[in-house]
Amino acid sequence: MSTQTAVARLALTYVKTIGSVTVQPGRGFINPYDMVSSKDGRLFILNRCDSARAALVRVGVMNFAEDYLGEFGKGYGAGDGQFMLPVAMALDSQERLYITDEHLHRVSIFDLDGNFLGKWGTFGRGEGALHGPAGIAIDAEDRVYIADQHNHRIQAFQSDGTYLGQWGEAGSAPGQFAMPWGVAVDAQGDVYVADWRNDRVQKFTATGQFVASFGTSGTGDGQFQRPSSVAVDPEGYLYIADWGNERVQVLGPDGSVQEVLCGQATLSRWAEEFFAVNPDERETRAMSNLVPTLPAHLNTPHHISSQTEPYFWGPVSVKLDSAGRLYVTEANRHRIQIYQKP
Amino acid sequence: MSQQDIALMAHLLRRAGFGATREELETCVAKGYDAVVEALLHPTEAQCMPDDVIRRYHTDMAELRELNSVGAYWMYRMITTSCPLEEKLALFWHGLFATGYSKLNQARSLLNQIEMFRHHGLGSFATLLVELSKDPAMIIWLDNNDNHKEAINENYGRELLELFSMGIGHYSEQDIKECARAFTGWTLGNAEYMAVRASKDSIWPYSRIAWHFDYRDHDHDDGEKTFLGQTGRFNGADIVNIIVQREETARFLSTRLFQFFAADEVDDAGKPVIDAMMQTYFDSGYEIRAMLRTLFRSAYFRSEQARFTRVKGPVELVIGAVRLAGSYCQPTFGADQLARHTMYMGQGLFQPPSVEGWHEGLEWVDSGTLLERVNFVASELGNVSNPGVRNIINRLAAEDGGTFTPEALVDRCLDLLGPFQVAEDTHTALVGFVARQGAVHLQGHQPGDATEQLVGDVLRLATATREFQLA
Repeated sequence: MSTQTAVARLALTYVKTIGSVTVQPGRGFINPYDMVSSKDGRLFILNRCDSARAALVRVGVMNFAEDYLGEFGKGYGAGDGQFMLPVAMALDSQERLYITDEHLHRVSIFDLDGNFLGKWGTFGRGEGALHGPAGIAIDAEDRVYIADQHNHRIQAFQSDGTYLGQWGEAGSAPGQFAMPWGVAVDAQGDVYVADWRNDRVQKFTATGQFVASFGTSGTGDGQFQRPSSVAVDPEGYLYIADWGNERVQVLGPDGSVQEVLCGQATLSRWAEEFFAVNPDERETRAMSNLVPTLPAHLNTPHHISSQTEPYFWGPVSVKLDSAGRLYVTEANRHRIQIYQKP
Repeated sequence: MSQQDIALMAHLLRRAGFGATREELETCVAKGYDAVVEALLHPTEAQCMPDDVIRRYHTDMAELRELNSVGAYWMYRMITTSCPLEEKLALFWHGLFATGYSKLNQARSLLNQIEMFRHHGLGSFATLLVELSKDPAMIIWLDNNDNHKEAINENYGRELLELFSMGIGHYSEQDIKECARAFTGWTLGNAEYMAVRASKDSIWPYSRIAWHFDYRDHDHDDGEKTFLGQTGRFNGADIVNIIVQREETARFLSTRLFQFFAADEVDDAGKPVIDAMMQTYFDSGYEIRAMLRTLFRSAYFRSEQARFTRVKGPVELVIGAVRLAGSYCQPTFGADQLARHTMYMGQGLFQPPSVEGWHEGLEWVDSGTLLERVNFVASELGNVSNPGVRNIINRLAAEDGGTFTPEALVDRCLDLLGPFQVAEDTHTALVGFVARQGAVHLQGHQPGDATEQLVGDVLRLATATREFQLA
């Protein structure tokens, strides 16, 4: 697929950053891993949590203005409505929320009030069984596509978990996968997969016919290191979380590189409120350069992002809302940067 | 391939690494002792568990904010590395240049210090001391960010001389002050903000910001200084250059390396080895690699006298058991517990009790830590589903038709776990345990069946012996 720059490039505008880290229940993010937006403008944030605070795993609810609206999930565990290592979320046509869990090998379903509706999925390698389910996408017909990570395949289900089909196997040829992570569907029902360890995004028809592959391994424009997530807009532009390169790339429908984003986070409302009551940190921060020049031995994307606060660090999810906003969820920085498509 | 060769190679790999399986020992013996020493001393690109796979599964090991997450992350490297001396030496430097989380609240920068040890740990001691002086975690740990041109802080200068290079008694209080003056201006980027965050343990608003070195020329005292009898407008690197030329430094470093890699106690036979390491230190331009080569190739180190003369430190005990058991070779749920286990045994990574580091040797063992040590190792090596234990069982099943007398089974287990020997009364007790089951037949064994469990129990008991606690 060509990586030639298009004549008319799509340029996104940074809007703002939302969220801030926390170590307790309530307002704030703990290793956010994915988000969805509902038709009424609410944002649902999946907090995967670290091992030290696993019990705080939950879905947080807020809005674009950063009003905290609540949270749900029944805590850490294998029971109904509980999570252990949740990965990704998707909404179906009735705005029911589907959440994958790579440790429990299942999908849990909630309504937007947080009521647990059901679950499906079992561990295994056979048809319909899951081994480390990661990304999830639901098309207009409510077909559910899941990146079956350690089975190196995509599986399709009905919304009640009835198995519909699968494609892919371990490998690097077209149509094969290496630990796939993110999944997306476009307006035509085609399926896009962040083929994580093959450093590419693959496009398929709804039945798994290979259509195209985007990207090769590397750090250049149009190249990827372990892409984690993909989103596609109604015009066919692709938004790809280039996880290993700590950036987001935007490709045109023909695969041409439109834009490479490294992140430009500013203080969220919650962050501003923190500094309002912590003047010692506010004042010493004001003296600081948060985009430093680093010594050579720390000159990798991961190290650079660990020391450069505005940059993406751990971009695990890219999602679009109906207003053309791009939400980049950063697991390591506990926030979401928002960009606007022109 | 003689049993003596196997025993010698096992000794080398226990000391220069974290032990080895029988298959690894056989491969190394085939290469030859000196070739293995050189391979250990020249780590290339280490093959180990891929970083991306760890970070995807362990969210906490992507962020590396939590103390035990960072400890476990390093332990994954120790468990799976193809260059074990690189990690063992990093562990040595971590003990010598002990830097702790409690004051820093900055786990990633501690791990960056370990990466610095990997880069410079086998090279020139002069370079290592300069890099240590520039290490942001060390700077905060010993307050060099508070060491200013107009108001010195002696903490780093004092420990550089006392604990990191020469040892007490070889310098004056005035030397400490002059040393501190030379290191004024050696600080970290955004020092004021980072110091406030460290002191408050603040992660807000967007989690930790890792640290990097920053030199502030305007805060450096460029005046004349007299240090250990030499006078000049010394900067920090000049001070290090004077330190590394001292015989006291050579003896300090040689002795510490000897005690970590050769024997807890320096006996009369060990003293000439230390002298030889000191000579190598000067001959090689202060190169650690050359000093270790002198040690590992010495007749003393290769002799039976040197074997089992060190108490395994908690980290080397745990890593050695896991490597032998073949567990934790993939990202494993709850891996951060590994770091907690060594903490319970008295050696939490990045949690040294003070800037002095850990007290080693017999001080590793008390009634509480011994229980932790035995329970952990026994659970790993008594678990017949662990891949390394399965290898031992399969190997036994292929020997002599898989039939063993109780005494033969005990001896084979001691051999494949080490080889090591146990006291006579211990041996009698182990044989007696097996004898209660009668002869052992491994033909047709099935995973987890009673015969396999019996072998697992022998391994479990063998690793619970006094002798297994020694390296």
